[in-house]
Amino acid sequence: MNRSVLLIGIVIAAALVAILFMGLGKNPAEIRSPLVGKPAPVFALREVGTNRTVDITQYRGKPLVVNFWATWCGPCWEEHPILVANARMYADSASFLGVVFQDKEDKILSFLQQRGSSYPTVVDDAGKTAIAYGVGGVPETYFIDAQGVIVAKHNGPMTPDILRENLQKVLPQ
Amino acid sequence: MIPALGRLLILGSLLAAAAGAILGFAAGRTRSAEGLKWARRFAYLYSGLIVSAALLMVYALLAHDFSVSYVAQVGSRSVPTWVTIVSLWSSLEGSILFWGLVLGTYIGAATFLTRNRYEEYQPDAIGVWLACAAFFSFLIAGPANPFHTVPSPPLDGPGPNPLLQNHILMAIHPPFLYLGYVGFTIPFGFACAALLKGRLGHNVLKPLRESLMLSWIFQTVAIMLGGWWAYEVLGWGGYWAWDPVENASLLPWLTATAALHSIMVVERRGILKGWTITLVQATFLLVILGTFMTRSGVFNSVHSFKQSAIGPTILGFLAVSLLFVIGLLAFRIDKLEPEGRLEGAASREAMFLLNNLAFVLLTFTVLIGTVFPLIVEAMKGKQMSVGRPYFDSMTVPLGALLLFLLGVGPALPWGRASREQVKKALIPPIAGAAVFTLIGYALGVRSPWTLITLAFGGYAAQVTLSQMFLPMIQRMRNGEPLGSALIDGQLRRGRRRFGSYIVHAAVVLVIIAIAISSSMRTQLELHFVKGQTLKAAGYDVTFVGVEQRTEPHRLSTIGTFNIVKDGKPLTTLTPRMNQYQMMREPIGTPDVHSTAARDFYIALSNVDAAAETASISVFVLPMVMWIWLAVIAMALGALFGLIPSRRVILSAAKDPVPEGATETA
Repeated sequence: MNRSVLLIGIVIAAALVAILFMGLGKNPAEIRSPLVGKPAPVFALREVGTNRTVDITQYRGKPLVVNFWATWCGPCWEEHPILVANARMYADSASFLGVVFQDKEDKILSFLQQRGSSYPTVVDDAGKTAIAYGVGGVPETYFIDAQGVIVAKHNGPMTPDILRENLQKVLPQ
Repeated sequence: MIPALGRLLILGSLLAAAAGAILGFAAGRTRSAEGLKWARRFAYLYSGLIVSAALLMVYALLAHDFSVSYVAQVGSRSVPTWVTIVSLWSSLEGSILFWGLVLGTYIGAATFLTRNRYEEYQPDAIGVWLACAAFFSFLIAGPANPFHTVPSPPLDGPGPNPLLQNHILMAIHPPFLYLGYVGFTIPFGFACAALLKGRLGHNVLKPLRESLMLSWIFQTVAIMLGGWWAYEVLGWGGYWAWDPVENASLLPWLTATAALHSIMVVERRGILKGWTITLVQATFLLVILGTFMTRSGVFNSVHSFKQSAIGPTILGFLAVSLLFVIGLLAFRIDKLEPEGRLEGAASREAMFLLNNLAFVLLTFTVLIGTVFPLIVEAMKGKQMSVGRPYFDSMTVPLGALLLFLLGVGPALPWGRASREQVKKALIPPIAGAAVFTLIGYALGVRSPWTLITLAFGGYAAQVTLSQMFLPMIQRMRNGEPLGSALIDGQLRRGRRRFGSYIVHAAVVLVIIAIAISSSMRTQLELHFVKGQTLKAAGYDVTFVGVEQRTEPHRLSTIGTFNIVKDGKPLTTLTPRMNQYQMMREPIGTPDVHSTAARDFYIALSNVDAAAETASISVFVLPMVMWIWLAVIAMALGALFGLIPSRRVILSAAKDPVPEGATETA
C-alpha cells in the first residue's frame, strides 16, 4: 500500500467535500444588499391614477413593506394576491406600498382594477427610486422598520412564508 | 400511462445496471467467461432501457402530454418544435435523463466495440461503467424523477428557460458537452480496471486512449460552442468569463489533455503509468464535481439549474467515487512497475513531464479560484467572488509556458540527446518566433504578454509545421513524387502523428487569437436618437429606428443600425431585447458582423421604443473568428488521428489473447 498516495488523496478529498458540503443549502442568488441596516432612501412619488403624492416619511413609526413591480413581469402577477392578502391581514401592524417602474399608467390601472389591491401604489416614472434602492429586476421587496431602516430585502416573487419570515424582522417584538 | 411506463423503464435500468456492475466485478475476480458474458448482456439491457426512457420523454414532450410532470414543467404549445426537443435538457430532471441517454449509448457502444478484445480488463471496466450508470439511474428514479404523474394535467405549460430559447446554439452546445462529460466515464472504467488488475499493458492503453480522445474532442467543441454562445447572446463582447460552470467544463478538459500526452510517454517509455491513470481518474472526478456545481445551486452562474435536493446526492456520489479512487490508487499504484526511466532533462519525455505539471498546476489554479468563495464564506461568513484578474494573472503565464513547451517538446528527440542534436533542434525555430513577433509588432501589438505569446506561437508554429510534414519530406528526399509522398506519408500511414500536429497548429492559432482579441479590443458606449450617426472606432453607425415584434412566447424590441466603413456601406445590424413571458429581466441578443480580421459587435443596453432613443455597447474585436475555426480544426485533427491506419488495423486483428484472459465465444 502506498501511504503517501492515501494520505494526500484523503486530505484533498476531505477538504473538497467539506467545502462543497458547507456550500449546500445557501442560495448564491441571495446577494445581501448593502442597504440592509441603512436608512431607507427617501422618496415622494405620485399615486397611480391620482395626483396625490405619497411620501415615504409619512410611514415612520410603523413597519413598511415596499414592493417594486411592473405589469410586464410574470412573477409580479404571481405574488400580487399574496401581498394583497397579507397587507389586509397585517393592516394594524404594518403598511404596504407598491412602486411601479418602467410601465404605462393605463396598464397599471387596469391591472389593479382586475386584481384588486389593499394598499397604495405609486409610479416611479424616471426610475430614480428604483436606482436609489439598487433594484436589479422586478419583483423586489424591501422590509423597513418603524425607524425607517431597511432590515431585509427579497429578490424575486414573494411567497407567504418568505413574507411572514421577513415581516417578523420588522414587527416590534 | 406514459409516466408509469417511464418509471418502469428507469427502475428496470437501475436494476440492470446494479446487477451488471456486480456481475462485472465478480467476473473480474473469478475470471469467469460466463460471468463476463452476463455482465455484457446486462450492459446492453441497461443501455436499451435507459435510451427507451429518454426517447419516451421526447415523445411525451412532442405530444404535449402534460400528465408527465417534466412536460408540465418545461413544455409549451407555443414554442417551436426545436425548442420542444431542446426542453429535454433544459431543466434539472430532464438533463439528468439526457445524461442517462448519453451514458447508455456510450456503455452499449463501448461494450459492443470491445466485446472480443481486452478480456483481461473488460469485466472490471463494465463493472465501473455500470456502477456509475446505477447511480445516475437511481438519481432519475428518485430525487430527479421526471416521470411523476400530474393528477390534473394543465392545458399548457410555461416552456423552457428563455435563455435556452434565445439561440439555436443551445440546441448544439449541451449535447456536445454531455458527449464529452459523460464520455469520460469510459476511459475511467479502463483506468480503474487497469488498477484493479495491477497492470497497464499496451492492449488496454489503446481503448483507454481512444475513448479519452473521443470524449476530449466532444469536450473541446463543447467548450468552444459555449464560448461562442456567450459571445452571441450575453452581449458583453466576450466569450469566457471564468464563471464557475465554465470552469467546471474546463477542469476535466485540462486533466484529459494532460493524460492524452502522458499516455504517449507510457507507450514509448513504459513510465508515468500511475500518473497517467491518476489523471484519467481525476478527469472523471472533475466531471462529477462539475455536475455537482451546476446542479446543487451552490454556485451562482448563468448555467445553474434551480436549487434542488439532488445536490447532496451528487455530493455523496462524488465522496464515494473519491474514496474508491484513492483507495484503489493507494493499494495498487505500486504494482504498476515502470519499464524504463527518464533519460535526460533535454528529451521529449522530460518536456511531456513539464507539460503535465503545467496542466495540473493550471487545473489546481482554476479549481481553487472556483471554490475559493465557498471557503471564504464558510470561514468568515462574508460573500465574495473571485474575478477575472485572479484567473488572468494566474492562467496567462501558465498558458504561455504550455505554448512554449508545445514548441520545444516536439522539437526534441525521445530518449537521450547529444548537445549537438539539442542545438540543431532548438535553434532554427527562433526564426519563426522572430517572424511572428515582428509581424505582430508591425500590426500594432504592444502588450508584452501578447508579444511573448506571438514569439512562443511562432516558435511552435515552425516546429509543428516542419514536424507535421516530416514523413512526406523524407519520402520526397528518397525520390518519391509529391503525390504519393503526400498520400502515403501523411494520409494513409501515421495518421495519429499527422492528426496531433494539426491539433498543435490549431492550438497555436487559438492561443494567439485569444491573446490578440482580448488585449486589443475596443469598447465604447453610444447614445442615439433616431436618425443620428455617430463614429465608433473607424466605423460610422446610424440608428435607423426601433421596431417591436410580438411572438407567442416573447416580445422583441429590435434596433436597426446601418454600419458604414470608409464611406462604404458594410452591413445592417439588428441587436434586440427579448422579453419572455415568465422572466424578470429582458434578455438581449447582440448582433455581430464578422470578418477574418475583426468582428464589429453591438449590443443594446437601453432602448425606448416610444421616444425612439437607443444606447448601445460597441465592441471591435480582432481575430475572434479564428478562435471558432481553429477549435474546429483541433477537433477535426484529433478525429483524423483516431481513424486507424492500415497497419494498425492488421496488427489489431493479430493481437494475441492477453495472458490470464479466458477465451470467450
